[in-house]
Amino acid sequence: MELSEDDVLHILKLIDESKFDYFQLEVGELKITVSKGEPIPLAPTAQNVAVSQTPNPAPAQPPKSPAVAPAPQKEPPKPVAIPAGHVPITAPLLGTFYVAPEPGAPPFVKAGAEITEDTTVGLIEVMKVFSAVRAGVKGVVTEVVAQNGQFIEYGQTLFVVKPS
Amino acid sequence: MSVTRVFVANRGEIAVRVIKACKNLGIGTVAAVSEADRDSLAARIADRTVCIGPPRSTDSYLKTETLIAAAQATGCDALHPGYGFLSERAELAEACAKSNITFVGPSVDNITQMGDKLAARRIAQSSGVPTVPGSDHAKNPQEAVAAAKKIGYPVLLKASAGGGGRGIKLVRNAGEMQTTFGTAAAEARAAFGSDTLYMERYVGNARHIEVQVLGDHCGDVVHLGERDCSLQRRHQKIIEEAPAYALSQEVRDKICNAGAALARSIGYRNAGTVEFIYDNDTQEFYFLEVNTRIQVEHPVTEMITGVDLVAQQLLIARGQPLPFKQADLQLHGHAIECRINAESPQHGFRPCPGHIAEWQPPHGIGIRLDSHCYPGYFVPPYYDSLLAKLIVHGSDRTEAADRMKQALASFRVKGIDTGIPFLQTIIDDSDYRSGKVNTCWLEQKLEEYSTSHAA
Repeated sequence: MELSEDDVLHILKLIDESKFDYFQLEVGELKITVSKGEPIPLAPTAQNVAVSQTPNPAPAQPPKSPAVAPAPQKEPPKPVAIPAGHVPITAPLLGTFYVAPEPGAPPFVKAGAEITEDTTVGLIEVMKVFSAVRAGVKGVVTEVVAQNGQFIEYGQTLFVVKPS
Repeated sequence: MSVTRVFVANRGEIAVRVIKACKNLGIGTVAAVSEADRDSLAARIADRTVCIGPPRSTDSYLKTETLIAAAQATGCDALHPGYGFLSERAELAEACAKSNITFVGPSVDNITQMGDKLAARRIAQSSGVPTVPGSDHAKNPQEAVAAAKKIGYPVLLKASAGGGGRGIKLVRNAGEMQTTFGTAAAEARAAFGSDTLYMERYVGNARHIEVQVLGDHCGDVVHLGERDCSLQRRHQKIIEEAPAYALSQEVRDKICNAGAALARSIGYRNAGTVEFIYDNDTQEFYFLEVNTRIQVEHPVTEMITGVDLVAQQLLIARGQPLPFKQADLQLHGHAIECRINAESPQHGFRPCPGHIAEWQPPHGIGIRLDSHCYPGYFVPPYYDSLLAKLIVHGSDRTEAADRMKQALASFRVKGIDTGIPFLQTIIDDSDYRSGKVNTCWLEQKLEEYSTSHAA
């Protein structure tokens, strides 16, 4: 079976209009893999045609529901430089980070916000269970590092704070 | 059942072992590490590392939800549990299934059935595998005393939800039973969440023999011979060998066939170990339990069969049938494994974590080292003390033991204490060489060593 460029574009259009994030078609030797997220790693032995529609999508909007799982992040987080005299607020557990109590609501804190030790600065969700992140430090938020809906590891920097 | 990117839900040498097996098969890897393991060898060689929590394993390696969330978030389609931690918990295999992650191990049913040691005993009996004379569920001290009278003291009082040497108490007479029963039930409830107890006759002069099995999705099961793991300390194996040197070929065949038959009767899938106890005095063997995971001592079987067991685990998980039949498998020579632990033989074998200043393992023909250590590695105090498994292969047991002697002698470790000096005395011991040992033998040697080497 052979596919023309038009066929491929047609398939992409259908996938784009569908609610699927991931599509894989295998007919004999032919294999098409389409993802709306980031590129999919290819099995080393398989003969593949990979078409990634949006190679590096920047999430235009925050997720519609806090429960929507983010696209898999296969790269480790980049280390964040902490300026002298500042301290990080780090993730107390691994999971999905949310800046606001519910979709559309204003974030718990923004850059410039004054916080105390007990200020809730975000939520982390693991398997539908949400935990509040306490600031643990008094001061002013100078940088919001973690994105809404981002997968974060244990100990990853979420905010940078200038303690007072 | 795709396996293209494996989440390694373990640490230490087995994490390294799994990652290497994945690399050989062109499979991607994500290493789960606690904060204390960020600099571990597994973290260095995996395609990606994800920090799952603080050092305490109850906050990291033992958190099912966290592991599943991390596996999904890092794009893994399979999870390898290693040994220990959650490897034999049905809940992890179940959570994987719910999240469309291929669990590299047995089915949820296999794990559940064999995790209940009393149920496993009944299954063994119904498939014609001999079990240690004992009781069914003993509900109270009165029932236990009555049953023990029939079995004959001393007996072992065992927690049905225990296993791996945990949840076992030796009871010598009816008086002891009255006091021990309540404690054992309370401990079992606290440790395993179930206070179901049963009894087995205590076999004093025993060897620990176990059979390696592999089963695939088609229902084919093969055994890969047996191992002798009689040299134990507090129910933890220290030296393991394959094949079982002190048993006749006839008994070995019987044990291996019994192990395979039991696995076949429950449709066992992936790698597992059927454990037996062998009575030196009566030459009878009895089923003990099934471990539904890869074992620490799997390399000795690999050395004499030439089969990469971890690779087979991954291939079976992917749905592939076993690439060999029972008749294709042949055993070659003899293999011995010594567990090198971070402990101080001069100080009563107390654990010895810390900074490894020098790490020079032996090399050469017939020598293999499975380890996560390297010069400069800091051995964290939060986990078990296993540093490395030194495995040797020889054409026969004498050659293997000689090779182990040389290998131990040239193994240089500085900065922390290890059990190497003690292992050297064992390998040279005349009783060890002639095979006159049982499951209590090493404990006696340990006591002698501690007395004569007390610092």
